[in-house]
Amino acid sequence: MRLILRQTRAEEGSDISVLVLVRLPEPHDLKEKSFITMFRHLRTLQQFSRRTVSSSAPRQLENKVPGKQKIFQEDNGLPIHLKGGVTDALLYRATMALTVFGCGYVVYTLLDAALPKKKN
Amino acid sequence: MAHQAHAYHMVDPSPWPLTGAVGALLMTSGLAIWFHFHSMTLMTLGLILLLLTMYQWWRDIIREGTFQGHHTPPVQKGLRYGMILFITSEVFFFLGFFWAFYHSSLAPTPELGGCWPPTGITTLDPFEVPLLNTAVLLASGVTVTWAHHSIMEGERKQTIQSLALTIILGLYFTALQAMEYYEAPFTIADGVYGSTFFVATGFHGLHVIIGSTFLAVCFLRQIQYHFTSEHHFGFEAAAWYWHFVDVVWLFLYVSIYWWGS
Repeated sequence: MRLILRQTRAEEGSDISVLVLVRLPEPHDLKEKSFITMFRHLRTLQQFSRRTVSSSAPRQLENKVPGKQKIFQEDNGLPIHLKGGVTDALLYRATMALTVFGCGYVVYTLLDAALPKKKN
Repeated sequence: MAHQAHAYHMVDPSPWPLTGAVGALLMTSGLAIWFHFHSMTLMTLGLILLLLTMYQWWRDIIREGTFQGHHTPPVQKGLRYGMILFITSEVFFFLGFFWAFYHSSLAPTPELGGCWPPTGITTLDPFEVPLLNTAVLLASGVTVTWAHHSIMEGERKQTIQSLALTIILGLYFTALQAMEYYEAPFTIADGVYGSTFFVATGFHGLHVIIGSTFLAVCFLRQIQYHFTSEHHFGFEAAAWYWHFVDVVWLFLYVSIYWWGS
């Protein structure tokens, strides 16, 4: 048995409205049943998202600036480009490796392009 | 640790100027090698090196300013002068291309048919996509100003929304312009009209992409609480650059698209 509470519209000039208990007819076919289920899911999703997302996208992040300030103000003698940790060192090494290799490669390529080739 | 008795910033020794210089060398030599010997290896290597340098150098500046507090008022003043001077240099860069356009279009040679647009060139209708592009960039100027006021008033959510909108408008402009390039009835090889059109609008488009990237970085920094209502120079620099890009487009639109059609 499905019962719902309905509030009637107040009469003009009156501020009284009445709560009425209404018995709805049972859903008699599959289409109506699935529609009701879908509606219930949507309402649940709506309530869930209202509770979890407290602001518009993107979701609220925790302020990590004080933590970072502590890391980068630590008196460990490290230069700024290495002070962030292991990732800094790896990225630096990769960049420097490409730089050194690149220097050699460009000198080789330009010399090769500049010097005449002996044809057999 | 020795403490400084002044408000200025003596930076730590850094490898990025060197890696950047080598990257630029590799990219320019690589460009020449690509033109003549059809190999893209050197140029690609140079591009990767430049991207790595830019990422790490600017990451370090954020660390020095936001995390170490080195960007005192005198230091910030210097950064402002720097950005203004850089944008001024970019103005002169574009001035050159406008000079080239007006040189050819004010006194069209007999080879062009003695007229502008030259004989045989079907110009783009300035009141179609180019006008939409103008509206898009003008709107983005409004949204970036909204973002600035939101930052100054401490409105976190509004700042994020208006910054996101600005970036979306920038990307929309880029997409529209890319479509225009694809559909255009003339190419860069179509005489001096094609050259001036594509070089001027092409460099402008590149600056839109750079500006959008700068704003995107600011967006990420805003989400991570880097900016305060009093101190947000990174954002101001991005906003100045964006307004500059907008103004260049207005000149391009009036000169090349409208008067030149």
